[in-house]
Amino acid sequence: MTAVVACLLIMLALHLLTPYWWWVMIVPFVYGAAAARSGGPALLAGFFSAGLLWLGGGLYFFFAGGRIIAGRVAGMFGLGPSWPLVVATALVAALAAAFAGYAGYAVRDLFKKKTAARG
Amino acid sequence: MKYTRAVVSLLVVALVFWALDNRHGTFPPLGKLLNPFAGFWQNGSRGDTLPERLSVRGLRDEVRVAWDARRVPHIFARNDHDLYFAQGYITARDRLWQMQIQAFYAAGRLSEVMGRTSLESDRFNRRFGMVWAAERGVEAMKRDPTAGDTVQAYADGVNAYIGSLRQKDYPVEYKILDYSPEPWTLLDSALLLKYMSYDLTGHDDERWMTAARTALGEATLDELFPFEPPNFVSPVIPRGTPWDFTPAPAPQAGEGEAPAGPEKAGFPSAHSGRTAGASAFDPDAPEAGSNNWAVSGSRTKSGRPILANDPHLRLTLPSIWYEVQLSAPGCNAEGVSLPGAPLVIIGHNQKIAWGFTNAGDDVLDWYAVTFKGRSHKEYLYDGKWLKASVRVEVIKVRGEKPVVDRVVYTRQGPVVWLEGEPEPANKSVPAGAALRWLAHDPSNELLTFYRLNRAWDYDGYLEALASWDCPAQNFAYADAGGTIAIWHNGKYPLRRKGQGRYILDGSNPADEWQGWVPRGQNPHVKNPPRGFVSSANQKPTDSSYPYYLGWDYASFERGNRINEILEGMKDITPEDMARMQNDNLSLRARMALPPLLAEIDDRGLAPAEKWALDELKGWNFENLAGLAAPTIFAQFWSDFNETTWNDKKTGGLWAMHWPRSEVVIDLILNHPDSGFFDGRTTPRKETLRDIANAAFRSAVRELQAQCGPPGRSWTWGEWRRAGIGHLGRIPGFGSEKLPMNGGGNAVNASGPGFGPSWRMVVELGAEVRAWGIMPGGPSGNPGSRYYDAGVDDWVAGKIYPLLFLKSADEANPGIVARTSLGGVK
Repeated sequence: MTAVVACLLIMLALHLLTPYWWWVMIVPFVYGAAAARSGGPALLAGFFSAGLLWLGGGLYFFFAGGRIIAGRVAGMFGLGPSWPLVVATALVAALAAAFAGYAGYAVRDLFKKKTAARG
Repeated sequence: MKYTRAVVSLLVVALVFWALDNRHGTFPPLGKLLNPFAGFWQNGSRGDTLPERLSVRGLRDEVRVAWDARRVPHIFARNDHDLYFAQGYITARDRLWQMQIQAFYAAGRLSEVMGRTSLESDRFNRRFGMVWAAERGVEAMKRDPTAGDTVQAYADGVNAYIGSLRQKDYPVEYKILDYSPEPWTLLDSALLLKYMSYDLTGHDDERWMTAARTALGEATLDELFPFEPPNFVSPVIPRGTPWDFTPAPAPQAGEGEAPAGPEKAGFPSAHSGRTAGASAFDPDAPEAGSNNWAVSGSRTKSGRPILANDPHLRLTLPSIWYEVQLSAPGCNAEGVSLPGAPLVIIGHNQKIAWGFTNAGDDVLDWYAVTFKGRSHKEYLYDGKWLKASVRVEVIKVRGEKPVVDRVVYTRQGPVVWLEGEPEPANKSVPAGAALRWLAHDPSNELLTFYRLNRAWDYDGYLEALASWDCPAQNFAYADAGGTIAIWHNGKYPLRRKGQGRYILDGSNPADEWQGWVPRGQNPHVKNPPRGFVSSANQKPTDSSYPYYLGWDYASFERGNRINEILEGMKDITPEDMARMQNDNLSLRARMALPPLLAEIDDRGLAPAEKWALDELKGWNFENLAGLAAPTIFAQFWSDFNETTWNDKKTGGLWAMHWPRSEVVIDLILNHPDSGFFDGRTTPRKETLRDIANAAFRSAVRELQAQCGPPGRSWTWGEWRRAGIGHLGRIPGFGSEKLPMNGGGNAVNASGPGFGPSWRMVVELGAEVRAWGIMPGGPSGNPGSRYYDAGVDDWVAGKIYPLLFLKSADEANPGIVARTSLGGVK
C-alpha cells in the first residue's frame, strides 16, 4: 500500500513537471529494482499506482471540460461512448506499469543472492 | 532461470514501451496520447476560457482584443505591426495545426508527417512548381515594404504563440500524428496563397481536349464546347455594356498555329482505369465556384447599397476561414481571413464592402517539349537546342530515407510528368509537357488585401485591384456613397482566340504568351442601369469583349438564377439577400425537365418508375433535403448525359467532360433532332425520345440498386449524405451527414464536401450593418464548444449579425470577454 501511494505521488509530480508518459514505466521499474520484496508486489504496485493515477487524471480532465474531446477521440477509435476511453487510459498505464514493476524486480532478483550472501 | 526471466521481462517491457511510444501506421502512440497530463485529455474545452491578459514578446504597444458571443476576436492595435502580429498570434491560438498542415501540403512535405502514403501528393505538388512559385512570391512580398512588413509581423506573431506552447498545449492533431509544431515562415504564408491559386486555377482540360480533337475533330469540339454559349446565358458583365477603352492589338489566329499531334503531346493511346477523379462520376458535383452580387440603393428598401458574397469551397473542420475584425489607425476592417495569411480577405470596413468569386479564366497552359535524344538536358526552342535546368527536390519521408526528385524545367516551366515515368494521379497532366502557369510568376496579392482593408471609395478599390494577378477573381464592390461595381480582375496573357485550349508547341515562340491585357481593360462595369452587378463563375462577357480570356467557365444556372431573382425584386432588404443565398431552385431542372418528361412514354412503367415519374411531375424544382425528386432528377440528368456522350468518348477519352449544361439544354430545347442523340454503336438512329426513355429507366434502376425501394432513402438529404469532414480526415472529428438543401447548380451550391464556406451580406451607409455565417466555429480544437458551432444554423440557412466595433472601449452587450496583449520588455 505504501509502495502504491509512494509510486503514485512520485509519478504525479513527474507528470506535472514534464510531458513524458513513460514515468508510469520508469517509476514502477525503479521501485521493483530497488525495493520490491517479490515479483507479485512489484507487479501490483505498478498496476495500481499507475492505473489509479491515470484513472484519476482521466476522470478529472473528463469532468473538467474533457467531455467533447473524449467523445471525438472515442469516435476516432470507433468506440461509441467515451467512458471506455477513461477505462482504456487507466488500463494502458496499469498494464505498462505492471510489466515494468515486474521486470524491475526480475532484475533485482539477479543480484539478490549476492546481496544476501554478503550480508 | 533467473536470467531468462529477467531477459524476457526486460524484452517485454521494451516492446510495450516501443508499442506505446510510437505511431503504427495511422494508429496513434497510445502512451503519449492517453497520458492525462500531456495527451489528448489536455485538449478539452478549458481552453475556451479567455485570459484577461496575455504577455507576448515582440509587441510594440498594448493590443486589445474584444471577444463576441460567438468567440470572434475583434483586434485593436495602435500600429500596423502590432495589428498583424496580434492577428498571427490569435489565429495561431485557434488554428495552428490547420495552418501548418495546409502549408505542409502545399509545400509537398506531408510525407514528413504522414509517411510514404503522402509521397505521391508531395512529389506532385513539387513537380507542379508550388514551392518554386512560393519562393518567388516571398521575394516579391519582400520587395514591397508594405506587404513584406505585414506578412513578417504576422509570422512573428504566430511564432510568439508557438514559443509559448508546452507539449501538453499542442493541438490534439499533433499528438495523434505524433509530431511538433515548427516555426512559421514567410514561405508558409506564400505557400498557402499559392495553394489557393492551385485550387482555383490549377485545373485544365488541355490533355483531354487534345485527345478529343484527334478523335472527334475540332469542328465537333467547337460545337460541344463553344467559345460563345447559347444566348440565354447571362454573362457577368451585362450583354451590351459598352467598353470604355480602345483595345490593344491582340495576336490573331494563324500566327504560329502548330497543333501538337497526339504523339508529340505524349498522349497515351489507350487508357484504362479511372483513378483520381478528374471526372469521377458524381451526378451532382458542385463546382468550386462562388456567388457575389451588389445591388444599388435604387433597388433597396433603405436606399443603401447591399453587397452579398458566398464563396463555395471544399468544406472542412476546422473551417477554411477565420472570422476577425482588424483595427488600427487608418484601418477598421471585418470579415474572414485565411488562417496562415494576414489581413481580411472578404469583408467590409466603414465605407466599402467587397467579395470574390473565381473568374475561371485560362492562365495555365501545357507545352509539348521536344527533348534532344533520350536525356532531358536539352530541348528544342525556335530551331535551337536550349539547356533545360533542373531543380532538385528532397522529400523527407517519416521513418525512411529522403526521396530525391529532379524536376526538369524549360523556359515555360516545370515538366510535371516526364515520358517513361509512372503516371501521376492527377489525370489532367500530359506526359512530356512543360507547365506555364501564371501562379509561378512573382506577384504581390497581399497588397490588394492591404489596400482593400483601407480603401474608402471606388478609386481606393481600383488601386487595390491593380496588384492582383492570380487567381483572377470577380471583385464585387459597393460603397457608402452608393457606387456598385464589379471587375473581372487578374493578370491575363494576351493570346489568340482558343490559344491554350489544346496542348501547345513548346518549340514555337508564337505559341507563348504575347504580353498582357492592359489592366484598365479587364471586363468591368460600374453602376449599370439595371441597378445590380453579380457573378457566379460564368462567362465574363458577351462576344463584344476584344480579348480572349478562356473558354471553360462554370455552367449558367447560378448566374442566370441570381440575375432573374434580382431583376424581379424591389425594395430589397438584407434579409432578402440572405434568403437568396439559400435559394434552392434548380434552373437546370426547370429548363430541362419539362421537355424531357414530355418524351417519357408512361405506358408499361414498373411501379418504381411510375412513382419516380409522379415525383418528378409534381416537383417545383426546389432542391430540398426532404424530397426525392431532386435525387431522381440528378440521376436522370447524369444518365441522360452518359447515354448521350459516352459513346463519343472513344479511345482514351474517359476523362473528357460532358458539354456544359447550357449546351445540352440548348440541344434539348432547340435541336431535338441533333445527331448527337444518335448512338454511335447502334445501327438505328436514336432520337432525344429514345435517350430520354432509356436514361429515365436506367436512373430508376440505379437508384433502386443504391437505395432500395422508393421511399425515405431516396430523399435528397439521405442520398447525398453531405457532411463536413475533418481537414486531416480523422474519423469522428467532422460533422457527419447533414440534411443539406441546395445542390451543385443552385444558388445555395452545397454538395458532399463542398458548399458556401462563408455567407456574407453587408449594407453600406452612414452606419454599416453586416451579417455572416460559416459552417464551423472560430476554434480549431475538436474539443472546444466553438469547433463546429454554427454548422446546424448554417445548414438551416440562418445568418448571424456581425458585431462591428468602432473602438476597443466601445461598451457593447455583444462583447463577452476582453483580453489585453502586452509586450514583454
